[in-house]
Amino acid sequence: MTVQAEEFEGAKRTLAGRLKETPSIYFSIAVLVFFVLLFYWHEPAFLESYNLGIIGLSAAILLTVGIGQCWTIVTGGIDLSVGGLISLVSVIFVLTVGTLGLWAYPFCLLIGACCGYINGLLLTRIKIPSFIATLGTGGIFVSVAYLITPKAVSVPGGSIKLLNVVNGSTFGQKNAILLSLLFFLVFFVIQYFTPIGRNIFYVGSNIKMSWLSGVNIVSTKNVAFTFSGIGAAAAGLILASRQFSGYPTIGAPYILSSIATVVLGGTAMTGGAGGMLNTLIGAVLMSVLQNGMTVTGVDVYLQQSLLGTMIILCVWVSFDRNKVEIVK
Amino acid sequence: MSNAPSANPNRTSVVLMRRMTKRFRAVTALDRVDFEINPHEIVGLVGENGAGKSTLMKILVGLYHPDAGEFLINGKAISFKDSNDAMRHGIGMVFQDGCMIHNLSILDNVFLGHEEHFIKYGLMDKKRMRDECVKILAKVKVELDPDTLIRNVTSAEKQMVEIARLLWLLRFYGAENPVMILDEPTTVLQEQEVKTLFDTLRELKKSSSIILISHRLEEVIANSDRVVIFKDGKYIAQMPSANADIHQIEELMVGRGMLGNHYIEDKQREPAQRFRLELENVYKRGSFQPLSLSLREGEIISLVGLIGSGKEELCRCILGLAHFDGGRVLVEGKERNFRTPSDAIACGIGHVPIDRRNEGLALDYSVVSNINMLILRQLGRYGLIAPWRERENAGHWVDEIRVKTPSVYVKCGNLSGGNQQKVVIAKWLSSGVKILILDHPTRGIDIGAKEEIYKRIRLLSEAGMSLIIMCDTLEEDIGLGNRLVIMKDGSVTREVECSKEAKPTPRDIIEAIV
Repeated sequence: MTVQAEEFEGAKRTLAGRLKETPSIYFSIAVLVFFVLLFYWHEPAFLESYNLGIIGLSAAILLTVGIGQCWTIVTGGIDLSVGGLISLVSVIFVLTVGTLGLWAYPFCLLIGACCGYINGLLLTRIKIPSFIATLGTGGIFVSVAYLITPKAVSVPGGSIKLLNVVNGSTFGQKNAILLSLLFFLVFFVIQYFTPIGRNIFYVGSNIKMSWLSGVNIVSTKNVAFTFSGIGAAAAGLILASRQFSGYPTIGAPYILSSIATVVLGGTAMTGGAGGMLNTLIGAVLMSVLQNGMTVTGVDVYLQQSLLGTMIILCVWVSFDRNKVEIVK
Repeated sequence: MSNAPSANPNRTSVVLMRRMTKRFRAVTALDRVDFEINPHEIVGLVGENGAGKSTLMKILVGLYHPDAGEFLINGKAISFKDSNDAMRHGIGMVFQDGCMIHNLSILDNVFLGHEEHFIKYGLMDKKRMRDECVKILAKVKVELDPDTLIRNVTSAEKQMVEIARLLWLLRFYGAENPVMILDEPTTVLQEQEVKTLFDTLRELKKSSSIILISHRLEEVIANSDRVVIFKDGKYIAQMPSANADIHQIEELMVGRGMLGNHYIEDKQREPAQRFRLELENVYKRGSFQPLSLSLREGEIISLVGLIGSGKEELCRCILGLAHFDGGRVLVEGKERNFRTPSDAIACGIGHVPIDRRNEGLALDYSVVSNINMLILRQLGRYGLIAPWRERENAGHWVDEIRVKTPSVYVKCGNLSGGNQQKVVIAKWLSSGVKILILDHPTRGIDIGAKEEIYKRIRLLSEAGMSLIIMCDTLEEDIGLGNRLVIMKDGSVTREVECSKEAKPTPRDIIEAIV
């Protein structure tokens, strides 16, 4: 294969052109390294193992909910129901762990999958935009959680030992972190090595071409939303286990922080780009920022605005404006 | 180009373009074209698809910037920033599909974006707008209440409103002799409406110039003062309409017949006896009448017809993108019913679309991802894809089809048009389809790549692939096909055998099409 100059127009030889060709994940990694060094320079205790454990735990929860959210965003949609689903799962888990025992874990994941599948059906069959559909179902999930129990419920004393699945340690590492990495690994393999994972990306990149090439758009989107439900349910399980209780508002913060996690990793809101590795970086970056600002004594009132600035910067880098002429 | 005024030898021309050149990557869309518009004349611009008419018009209205050439307006060299800039210099275009907001009234649409000129005490002076609007509409002989919603007026009236709006705008910017470009204005009109349109245009001519782009040659000759003919991005000839001959124009448009072995006719094979695809009395209401068609193994059928002849819709139905209302479809002798594109693909029918950038490829993804897209399930074991087999398969097809790329991991968006087209073809070949519909396979690719596509088509047919092609030019259709199927107004009007010894000429065919 010989390549003639006029036949191949690769990356422009300018700096701007090269930056444009660089995958956004490198920007996210660069930002992560920068902040880790900044916080460490300012407060060496930031990298002590105790603090790293705290960062790891918060990253674990962001990662499990983020990997699910990621695929819905890759297909060009969004899942706003993750917060409600986390709350609902936390409540159901606490109430069933006494009778179901360890089976409560897979049972709750199944509930998450079903709720996610319903979101998918609303989008693909009734054709309601995912933003609205999941806004609605998110409200329903929270409401169901309230109907089950209006206030926090605690894990029955006899079942506390069962929570070691999440709260214990294996090989000196916290199980919660290992579990989130296990989920990450499963999602990672699906994304890179199975046809359905690839189809999620084809659909996100060019839905018309995918349809013309015989990709089943409906089932692809359904799968993406089902897995979003599984991710949210897993996050709900970890949260409930760590706190030994479940309550209907436990998941609320995760609606926006899951989206922020995905976006910080460099997955584009326009769909078709990004993925699991990006979300892993995004989850770590998000919890490093949150934790680091507290450790280094940044004013609590200022923290939100700095986090907001970071999100805007990351979208600025990863957003592909060539695809859309008018940004809404 | 500089903005400095230069001497104009021809004082009378409103627009003068000399040696205009426009390239898109490797493709030269306009090759040193000269073009001129005089005051008070209607210029007919004719040529086949891809002849460069639209490109020239887009330069005229500031949507494209020429790569080289001189552009003078009223004797002054000029370079437009955008279409607003062109409007300010008195040049505007009425587009084929129209651009009006359907749930607003005529009045709102006419003054859309220019309401600030009717402000009184900080508010819009509706009365003055109404009066002005009625006056504007009267110029194009439209007697409608300005408050009528656009969605409630006929296509003909809509077009008139657009013309009126454009004229008002150009005058508003102080153009003495505005230039209006009408792109296929008659395709949506009834016979009587066409007459009204041209009567109005002749009236408007007294104070402006009009460029008329149309495939209907009789219309152009009858209603213009001068006909300009383009072919393959070049200016070919012009003649006063008064003594223009339609056959002569047709000949100039399609060129001097076949030259040598341009379409590799000597490799054209006789199709085998076996039927691949049989359509029996299939029809779709509003698109095409019942028709029957059969495609043999190794056969190339050229589907010929204008836009709206029903050929696009027929192909969409074959591909499962739309549905036949009745009739039987047999693939390899078995009756089939396609509900979705994946049904058609499962039966071995593939499709190289006309708009490869939006319908054929994921431009953000690599050559590997695109080529393997249809066969992911076959590239591994236990439901998992093996990356090395992906690379192997893509590498095989890149070599086979000669895609010029530094590596199989390059984004398709960075390849030239010809190479992108090859990737689309590779994608379908690797999936093992037996029937391939090629929708304008050589559109927008350079001559060298075109030849390779022709060669590929011959090789495919030799290997037993059955093809349905729709080409950019009649020459291409005739040169490549075993058989021409000509469609007009929703039915097959003629089938012409195209054996390699006895190819018809475009002249023989064009009457059946238009």
